[in-house]
Amino acid sequence: MIRRPWQLAHPRTAFAVMAVFLIIFPTLMSLIGGDVTLASRVLILATFGLGVDLIFGFTGLLSFGQAAFYGTGGFVAGYLMLQHIVPNTLLALAIGTVAAALCGVVIGALSLRQVGVYFAMLTLAFGELFFFLENSPLRAFTGGESGLPGVPRATIPLGFTTIDCTSAVGTYAFIAVIYFLGYLLMRRIIASPFGRILRAILENPERAAASGHDTLRYKLVAFTIAAAYAGMAGGLLGIFQGYMPPDAFGIDQSGEIIVVTVIGGAGTLIGPLVGAFVWIYLQHALQNVAVISGVWKLILGLIFVALITGFRRGIVGGATALLRARRKRPA
Amino acid sequence: MDLHLVAAQLLNGVALGAILALVALGLTIVFGLLGFVNFAHGAIFTSGAYGGWVVYTKTGSFVLGVATALATAFVLGIVIERLLIRSYYNRPPEDQILVTFGLAIVIVETIRAIFTGQTQTFETPSWGNGVVNVAGIFYPQYRLEVIAVVAVTLLAIYLLIYKTRIGLIVRAGIDDPLVVNLLGINVRRTFMFVFAMGAALAGLAGVFDSPLLAVNPDMGTDVLVQSFVVIVIGGVGSFGGAIVGGLIAGEIISLATAFIPDYSQALLYVAMALVLILRPQGLFGVVGRS
Repeated sequence: MIRRPWQLAHPRTAFAVMAVFLIIFPTLMSLIGGDVTLASRVLILATFGLGVDLIFGFTGLLSFGQAAFYGTGGFVAGYLMLQHIVPNTLLALAIGTVAAALCGVVIGALSLRQVGVYFAMLTLAFGELFFFLENSPLRAFTGGESGLPGVPRATIPLGFTTIDCTSAVGTYAFIAVIYFLGYLLMRRIIASPFGRILRAILENPERAAASGHDTLRYKLVAFTIAAAYAGMAGGLLGIFQGYMPPDAFGIDQSGEIIVVTVIGGAGTLIGPLVGAFVWIYLQHALQNVAVISGVWKLILGLIFVALITGFRRGIVGGATALLRARRKRPA
Repeated sequence: MDLHLVAAQLLNGVALGAILALVALGLTIVFGLLGFVNFAHGAIFTSGAYGGWVVYTKTGSFVLGVATALATAFVLGIVIERLLIRSYYNRPPEDQILVTFGLAIVIVETIRAIFTGQTQTFETPSWGNGVVNVAGIFYPQYRLEVIAVVAVTLLAIYLLIYKTRIGLIVRAGIDDPLVVNLLGINVRRTFMFVFAMGAALAGLAGVFDSPLLAVNPDMGTDVLVQSFVVIVIGGVGSFGGAIVGGLIAGEIISLATAFIPDYSQALLYVAMALVLILRPQGLFGVVGRS
C-alpha cells in the first residue's frame, strides 16, 4: 500500500513530534524574526485549515464560504463572553463551535446537492450572505462594521483555581492545546472508516455511491465538521485579538484559508499548518522589506498559481514526493 | 409609498441589472463552451475599469476610454488563456477554480501595486451628465445610456453566436469539441477567442460601471459574486438566463436598497437560495447539463 503523506509516521510518533514542535514553535519563530503572537496567528489559521483540508483535501469539496463559519463561531463566542452571558472561555468557544456547525448543516444541505463549480459558487454566495447579515440586520449583536472590541482573553476556571491564559504566551499555550487536540481528532477522523469513505468519494463519487454509501450524508457530516473547526478557530481569533473583526466574515477570509491549505498541501493534514506559516510569515517578513512591502500578496498569489500548476499537493505533497523518490533510489 | 421613488428605483434596477447581465454573460458563455468558471472574471472587470480610467482621465475622451477597456480586457484574456488556462482544460474543475482564483489575486494585486489601493473617482462623461424626463420622473441620463449600450452589446453578441459562422463553430464546440476538431476546424483558436470575448464583456461592464461606482482595485469582487448569483438564478450556460437573472438581481438590490436598506444585499442571496430549492437548475437552465 502506498502511504499517503499524513500516514508517513506512526500516529504516536506523529503526535509526539507535533507536541514537541508546538512547544518550541514560538522559539523557532523568534529565531527568524517573528514572535509568539505570530505563532498564535499561524495556529489559529491552521486550526481553521484542518477543516478545509477535511472537505477539500480528503473529500474534494472546494468551499468558498468557510468565512461564514469562522465569523459565526467567533461572533457567537465573542458576544457571549463580552456580554458576560457565558464568562467561561471554553464553554463560550464550545457554543460558538456548535453554532458554526449548525450553520454548516444548513448551508451544506443547500449547497451539497451541487458539485464542482456550482458548489463553489453557492458556498461563495452563502458566505457573502453571512457577511451582509453581520453587516446590517444583525448590527445590534455584531457591532456591524466596527465588530466586537474587548473580547476577553482566555481563563480556565478549575473550581479550586483558575488557569490564567491572558498573557501573550498564555494565549499561545491555550491556542496550541486546542490546535493539538483538533489535529489529534482530525487524524482519527481521517483514519476512521468514515474517513475512508470520504476518500472513496474523493477518488470516485459514483463508485462510492454504487457501493451503497449515501455520499450526500457523508459529505454533509464532513462539511459540518469543517464548519465546527472554522467556528472554533473564529472563537480563538476573538480571544487572541481581544477583538472580533467583521472581516472574519469577508470573502477574502474564505479565499485566504483556501490559499493557505493549498499552498501547504491539501490532503496532507499538516498542510494547513505549513501553509499558514508560509502565508503569515512571508506577509510579516515581506512587509518589512521596503521595496516589496506593498506587493507581498502579489508574491504569494504568484506562488499559489505556480504551486497549483506544478504541485497539486502543495509544499508538503511536493516534499514527501521528493523524499519518496530519494528513498527508492538505491544507495 | 412614493410612486416616483419606486419608478426611479425600478429604472436603477434595470441599469444595475444590465451591468450584471453583461458580466454574467461573459461568465456563462465561457462556461458553456469551455466548461470553465472563471473566478478571475471580476479582476478582469477591474482591469477594464482601470484601463478606461487611465485613458479617459488623460485624454478626456470616454470613447477612447471604452476602447482601451475593451482592448485591455481582451488582450488580458488572450494572455491568460495562452499562458495558463489552456493547460487546465483537462484538469478537474477544482483546479480550474483555484488557478483562476489565484490569477484574480495576481491581477488585483498588480493593479494595486501600479495604481495604489486608493479609490479614484471616474467622472461621468459630459454627454451623460444631464437628467431626462421619463414619464414624469427626472432620471440621470447616463444610466439610460448604460442600459442602451448594454442592450446593443447583448444584441450584437446574440447575433454573433446565433447568426454567424464563428457562432456556429462556438455552438458546435459546446456540443462536441472533438468532432468539430476532426472536421478540420481549429477549436483551440475558437476557445481562445471565446475566452477573450468573455473577458472583453467584463472589461466593458467595468468601464461603464465605473462612473456609477468609483474605481478601486477590489471593485470586481462584489460584481463577481453577484454575477455568480445571476447565473445561478438564470441557469448556468444560458444566454437568456444571464439577462433575466441580471435584471432580477438588479431589481432586488435596487428596490431593497430603497425600502429595506438593511437587507439590500442579503435579500439577493435569499432569492438565490429560493431558486435553488425550488428549481435547482435555475430559471432557464436545462436539467442534467454540467
